[in-house]
Amino acid sequence: MNGAEALVKCLELEGISTVFGYPGVAIAPFYDAMARSSIRHILVRQEQAAGHAANGYARISRQTQVCVTSSGPGATNLITALATAYADSIPLVAITGQVDSHLVGRDVFQEADIRGATESFVKYSYLVKNVDEIPHIVKEAFYIASTGRKGPVLIDIPHDIQLKEMGKAFAYPESVEMRGYKPNHKINAQQMSKVIEAIRKAKKPLICAGGGVILGHGEPEIREFVEKNRIPLVSTIMGIGVLPKSHPMYFGMLGNNGKPYANRAVMNSDLLIIVGARIADRAVPKPETLEKTVSVIHIDIDSAEIGKVLGPTLPLVGDVKEIFAMLNKEEFPQTDDNWIGSLEQIKHSTVDQRHWSENLVNPMLLVQMLSEKMDKDAIYVADVGQNQLWSADNYVMQEGRFLTSGGMGTMGYSIPAAFGAKIGAPDKQVVAVCGDGSFQMSMYELGTIAVNKVPVKILVMKNGYLGLVREHQEKVFESRYSGVALYDYPYYDKIAEAYDMGYFRCSSNEALPDELEKFLHYDGAAIMVCDIDASNNVI
Amino acid sequence: MKGIFSVLVENRDGVLSQISGLFARRGFNIDSLVVGTTEQKDVSSMTIVSTGDQRTIDQIEKHLNKKPDVIKVRRLDESKSISLEMMLIKVGCTQANRGSLIEICTVMGGKIMHVTPRAMMIEVHGTPETIEDFIEMVRSYGIIELQRTGTISLGRT
Repeated sequence: MNGAEALVKCLELEGISTVFGYPGVAIAPFYDAMARSSIRHILVRQEQAAGHAANGYARISRQTQVCVTSSGPGATNLITALATAYADSIPLVAITGQVDSHLVGRDVFQEADIRGATESFVKYSYLVKNVDEIPHIVKEAFYIASTGRKGPVLIDIPHDIQLKEMGKAFAYPESVEMRGYKPNHKINAQQMSKVIEAIRKAKKPLICAGGGVILGHGEPEIREFVEKNRIPLVSTIMGIGVLPKSHPMYFGMLGNNGKPYANRAVMNSDLLIIVGARIADRAVPKPETLEKTVSVIHIDIDSAEIGKVLGPTLPLVGDVKEIFAMLNKEEFPQTDDNWIGSLEQIKHSTVDQRHWSENLVNPMLLVQMLSEKMDKDAIYVADVGQNQLWSADNYVMQEGRFLTSGGMGTMGYSIPAAFGAKIGAPDKQVVAVCGDGSFQMSMYELGTIAVNKVPVKILVMKNGYLGLVREHQEKVFESRYSGVALYDYPYYDKIAEAYDMGYFRCSSNEALPDELEKFLHYDGAAIMVCDIDASNNVI
Repeated sequence: MKGIFSVLVENRDGVLSQISGLFARRGFNIDSLVVGTTEQKDVSSMTIVSTGDQRTIDQIEKHLNKKPDVIKVRRLDESKSISLEMMLIKVGCTQANRGSLIEICTVMGGKIMHVTPRAMMIEVHGTPETIEDFIEMVRSYGIIELQRTGTISLGRT
């Protein structure tokens, strides 16, 4: 058994059934071994998409998934996808081919120091130097990626090591022991009792749920907690889906681009329970004001998140599922009805002051109507730009999933993440929503969708501009637009035809319901272009 | 405030770059960083001295702990630990003022390593403050060059 065969065997033993990748000479032995294995390979059209596809797949399967590239430019093309996964704590194992060991460091053809280049975007990385280390390294890589605060792990494997015969019999370790990595925090009993005490005393408690709740699969426990104790909840963009939109205790997404009533709820609360959220600038633009008015309980699996942005808090480090299962065993006084009542009042009295163009398709209406017509458990993948913010703001979450690149804000995420998600959940309806800018950033992946017959739906909000930057230039730079016009290209009908995809177009609100129905029920992959007036702004 | 971290790490390639990269990326200060081997050949020891506010020093400790190659982080309290540093310093001197320079060395524990007609090389070791004091004392003679090892620290208990 050579190194490549050992690596493939390890992936099989980790339960990997599909990998996304792009071959090259430096990873060719791996591809040769994989062809003789049970693993399905999805050839993407550019390496970044392999990372995003594995990301979408990992989020839906709630398991670590794998992407593979060759050395040099193949590996560097993957960097943005690794940064995207790192920012959103998505568990990936990325395998990159490397030039022969004895050539490493000599700047030979297609050599890049990918470990060095990805140092700040991965949880951990390896350069394989000895073929016999492969089983141990792979086991460790999966362990690190999937435990604690999840994230991407890189394995860089030189070409000659892949071809080298193992010096001892292949044995996959049952478990790994790392003296410097102990992800399973035992929940501190003293902190826990302080948290319980603080919640008992609170008159106006509020939960702010982030992506960590979904990553830790804590939705059922949080929901039970919220319902049992009548504690209202707001979410970050990554926390969309913790509660359905119609839930009486859900008060929307907070932040710059969120619901004003969600922000009011935060300001009016006397105890904010932050769970699995980074308190990033778009969610909490002024943490220093917040820390003066509200007392905060900060629950996170990563202790370094506590105190990173927000000042003195009551910290509790641990797994969200475990913590809320414990909290659900406690009795708390029912939250004052006046508190919930006041939030409901604010929610119902909030008037949307934004001006919406009557022309063409109203993007807010589009997202509402689309999400209502989608299956209850559908997967909605929002790209980045105005489309992301309209999506986050108006998506009617039922029992499905809302995926987006929340931390890094990577344009072009939605199409590869959507087909990755669809491959992970073939029975679920998957819709990618992007703008004409983000669509074109991953347009080449339509080839992957066509060849593999992945029946995803892609909805393009077309306004001929990089809309969010245009909006920024309008407000901050007195409408001096610079470098933001996309004009009328491409001809989407021809693109759809070129890739054997269904094609729908809608230019009015009146035609929207019918077109959406046809689009969603189309048998196979399809593109729907909705024309949006460029004057529509997010804020 | 000053933060002194005694850090045990896996003796592996790339660990130093991971640690220094962490400080650079997050904007943490490194006043000094010393790496050496320990009694175990697969473990290296680092002493990192940094300055920052309480929040920064706390964050440094947490981020160091997050690194899988970091085995143990110990934050040392200055009053409960011993910190030492060594310096080689080359100071200009002439026949006229050589005597007074030798006097400073005698008083402050500087060891004269080499003498030329125009300069003297002195070795000093002690707490980082001792080193600072010595530099101040000889500054007027003209410092030609100096090299400091950086601080090494161990907790008393």
